[in-house]
Amino acid sequence: MSLLSVRDLKVHFPIKRGVLFDRTIGHVYAVDGVSLDVERGGTYGLVGESGCGKSTLGRAVLRLVDVTSGSVEFDGKDLATLKGEPLRKERSRLQMVFQDPMSSLDPRQNVESILSEGLAAHGMIGDRKARRAHIQQTLDAVGLPRGALSRYPHEFSGGQRQRIGIARALVLKPDVIIADEPVSALDVSVQAQVINLLEELQNDLGLTYLVIAHDLAVVRHISDTIGVMYLGGIVEEAPSDVLYVSPRHPYTKALMSAVPVPDPEVEDSRERVLLKGDLPSPANPPTGCRFHTRCPWRQETRCDTERPELTLVGDGHKVACHWAAEIEAGEIQPKSDAVVGATTAEVA
Amino acid sequence: MALLEVEDLAVTFQRKGTAPVHAVDGVSFTVAEGQVVGLVGESGCGKSVTSLALMGLLAKRGVKVGGKALFDGNDLLTMPGSTLRDMRGSEMAMIFQDPLSSLNPVIPIGLQVTEVLKRHRGMKGEPAEKEAADLLDRVGIPDPRRRLKEYPHQLSGGMRQRALIAMAVACRPRLLIADEPTTALDVTIQAQILELLKELVAQQGTALIMITHDLGVVAGLCDEINVMYAGRVVEGAARRPLFASPTHPYSVGLLGSIPRLDAPRGEKLKPIPGSVRDNIAWADGCAFAPRCAHRTDECLDGPPALVQTYTGHAYRCVNPVTGDEVEAVTAAATLPAPSIVDATTDSDGEA
Amino acid sequence: MSAKTDRIDRLAELTARKDEGGHGLWYEAFRRLRRNPLAMTGAVIILLFVLIAILAPWLAPHDPAAQTWLGEIRGAEGFIPGPRSGNWLGVDGLGRDELSRLIIGSRQSLLVGVVATLLGFTAGAILGGLSGAFLGMFGKAGRWVDSILMRFNDMALAVPSLLLAISVATILGQGLVTVMIAVGVTQIPVFARLLRGSMLAQSHSDYVLASTALGVRKRRIVLNHILPNSMSPVLVQATLSLATAIIEAAGLSFLGLGGANAANPEWGVMLADSQQYLATNLRLAVYPAVAIIITALGFTLLGEAMREALDPKLRK
Ligand SMILES: Nc1ncnc2c1ncn2[C@@H]1O[C@H](COP(=O)(O)OP(=O)(O)OP(=O)(O)O)[C@@H](O)[C@H]1O
Ligand SMILES: Nc1ncnc2c1ncn2[C@@H]1O[C@H](COP(=O)(O)OP(=O)(O)OP(=O)(O)O)[C@@H](O)[C@H]1O
Ligand SMILES: [Mg+2]
Ligand SMILES: [Mg+2]
Repeated sequence: MSLLSVRDLKVHFPIKRGVLFDRTIGHVYAVDGVSLDVERGGTYGLVGESGCGKSTLGRAVLRLVDVTSGSVEFDGKDLATLKGEPLRKERSRLQMVFQDPMSSLDPRQNVESILSEGLAAHGMIGDRKARRAHIQQTLDAVGLPRGALSRYPHEFSGGQRQRIGIARALVLKPDVIIADEPVSALDVSVQAQVINLLEELQNDLGLTYLVIAHDLAVVRHISDTIGVMYLGGIVEEAPSDVLYVSPRHPYTKALMSAVPVPDPEVEDSRERVLLKGDLPSPANPPTGCRFHTRCPWRQETRCDTERPELTLVGDGHKVACHWAAEIEAGEIQPKSDAVVGATTAEVA
Repeated sequence: MALLEVEDLAVTFQRKGTAPVHAVDGVSFTVAEGQVVGLVGESGCGKSVTSLALMGLLAKRGVKVGGKALFDGNDLLTMPGSTLRDMRGSEMAMIFQDPLSSLNPVIPIGLQVTEVLKRHRGMKGEPAEKEAADLLDRVGIPDPRRRLKEYPHQLSGGMRQRALIAMAVACRPRLLIADEPTTALDVTIQAQILELLKELVAQQGTALIMITHDLGVVAGLCDEINVMYAGRVVEGAARRPLFASPTHPYSVGLLGSIPRLDAPRGEKLKPIPGSVRDNIAWADGCAFAPRCAHRTDECLDGPPALVQTYTGHAYRCVNPVTGDEVEAVTAAATLPAPSIVDATTDSDGEA
Repeated sequence: MSAKTDRIDRLAELTARKDEGGHGLWYEAFRRLRRNPLAMTGAVIILLFVLIAILAPWLAPHDPAAQTWLGEIRGAEGFIPGPRSGNWLGVDGLGRDELSRLIIGSRQSLLVGVVATLLGFTAGAILGGLSGAFLGMFGKAGRWVDSILMRFNDMALAVPSLLLAISVATILGQGLVTVMIAVGVTQIPVFARLLRGSMLAQSHSDYVLASTALGVRKRRIVLNHILPNSMSPVLVQATLSLATAIIEAAGLSFLGLGGANAANPEWGVMLADSQQYLATNLRLAVYPAVAIIITALGFTLLGEAMREALDPKLRK
């Protein structure tokens, strides 16, 4: 039984207009029927393009946004229906690491106050001395100097700030950490430090991660299982290595081929699946398969009328595409102009 | 002769009451027609300031610009403002990271494109409009006639960047400077834009300076790559040699820091310790020294000189990483079948 | 060996941070203010103004109400003596020492400005703070309360401030208190809007989300995070408001609502009194006008500099 299991989760934000009284004129279907399981001690990576609903999903799991429908089962409790004090108490067990390390820290709090706030809120470690020792220990764990305690967020570099954010989450000894783009605001050289830190902490503390990122390479690096999101839904889910070796959904193929690899040999020899057009608006998603407007493998039937279910196609490998089997077998070919061959231009 | 020869470009920001900021501190490189030259480096290393200096777009007050930038033999840095203004847009053009803020929000896209055509090519009325539609079509904007009448906010990020590229190439500039043109975009859109830029260079022989922090982007696009650190180029080489045998410990460190899509699972990244805040001034030694695992005593003997190798590699380091040490990095995997990549950088450095 | 340790020491020395840190944002903002010449100019003007106001009775060379009998010195009909020994800025139409009246008048301006702004600030902050707090703490019911409070506020905001001030004055009659209340009341909706808007913006920020995720109680989040972080635009506004309040107070006095008397001169009244001599003795209008402009400028300079110093975007 997985530690965290999300079932058919929907988060629809009402779009309001009106001068005196707000009227709902539609919805943003930010998350529209997502199910996923995160195993204890494992890492689930959620990847997708801007606006596909990744952050909203993460926030919905933590109940930081209102859930429209569906359930979020955590350790036997449904978080989606929890309210008030019971919800607040439960929060210590699931923590979040944010994208922007500056804006997610209160600029007027020093590090000690940032780290003790959660402890105070849950009445953990009442003894002053013991609390301080615990905070020091957490600082050590994330690799911050002890002198950091009396300093303010703006006095740190980006990477150090993200460490503070991680320490804040860790200090409550949570079971699950949801990291929303934990490294995308950081410099390349610092990104690697934070990724390594997250991995070390997981090994040492047995943490369970839900990592959200738009960078497939980062997600693949740290996740056991990857879910690929497109416009509010998961289109493919597979163990990290399987997804990389045999992506089955057309969108995953395109995404994978678009990620640049820092190696000219690879770059020159790979094929690209280029997508036409842009991400449709989640306020007005396409009918049927949400990806059919941009899909190079699109068929005349089913694609624009029937929404494909996420179905099991292999060991832990799920795909939401009507034609996944035919595409895999090579019976359906992509539109010819969608696949760009290897560049031949070569100046050495 | 190369189209653009930048020699010892230096930009210092000096405001009263504050210490001078040496944003760019001796940058040299050349760009030939039809060539793509990459400037890579982390945030704050001076990439944007370099490009702004070349375009003459830096403020006049409180800024000191030194060195030379010969465009076709004429120095851009000493050129009179009016000549430079005429050249901008016609001879050289720039694409910025944030397409929304570089487009005028209250003027339709079409008018903004025809404005460029009018100013530099003297086109007016229907021909200008037709040319504008052609341009939009060429950069892959569907239904260009309709788009001409739309305002920037009505276009998506990718479309805006395309519109901006259309404006930049409207007069077939000989030099195009792209400052992180895809950083704000999704990868699938980024792939479209990069493909477009490649086409432009191939078809029109435009010289392109590509500024980015993404080594993956330059690996697929650039002919020559300059790695910048703290305002200086610390390593410059052609694309393949740079990735095959990075010489400066910083380049090696960067390559070891990036999670590669094709790397096997469970492999540790090799981050560079510290952050740019740990840098020392170039005058005191190598700015990278405090973070460098390959540091030796000589690193603090003043700024390291630029070393040119017979292979065309150039680096600024007194203790470069040798071939054997990075051999592992070069054992590249090929897509799609993943193979083992051991991104060992160096292990013998005294930390 | 020793050469080597020297090098290591040298590296340590080169990378050592000069600043030990541990400074809060207010401190940093203050440091930025100190370095801004415009802020310092504003501060010096304000300091001078406050000092003059406090020390006015000792600084004023004459009794501001005492009249020189003009007939004695008056040569031609309608002649008002300008600067001369004993009266550095000359005398006004009634033969009172202009400089003394300006100096004593600063007290009224300061008093009205400070009290009115304090009134507007306090009431506005309470109203806006309540609105923002209800919004942040009580879900749907909170939104209702906020809605109602803010609709009233919008109506108040829509009334031209001078009109509001005149209405208050007609109810309470003329007098210093009237001016204070009138000017203060017009500021209330401005402060309320500002604080509430600022709180709303803060409540959507990531660190509030982070605190919620930590399980911090809503009340604590509002009081400890949202409110303190929302104060800077309000403080800036308060400084700028002092300038407007002084101008508005002068305006009301000019219109005769201030009820200043001969012993308690006021810059607005002085301006009003000078009207009848505009053609012949422009300087009588210029002196109080310049005094008003300079003090207002002082507060505006400081306010704008504060806005810059507290701007999170400019923070390093
Ligand atoms: N509070 C909100 N009210 C209304 N719409 C919202 C809200 N939060 C998010 N949305 C919308 O929901 C959609 C999904 O947003 P979300 O932030 O989850 O995307 P994301 O996948 O995290 O994207 P990014 O990579 O840009 O962070 C977007 O269209 C966004 O505009
Ligand atoms: N107008 C300015 N005044 C003072 N310093 C400046 C100014 N513009 C840039 N700098 C400084 O110059 C350095 C280089 O800035 P630049 O914008 O070129 O960096 P960059 O390499 O483009 O980084 P990024 O990847 O973040 O865009 C930075 O340290 C920056 O703080
Ligand atoms: Mg997001
Ligand atoms: Mg830049």
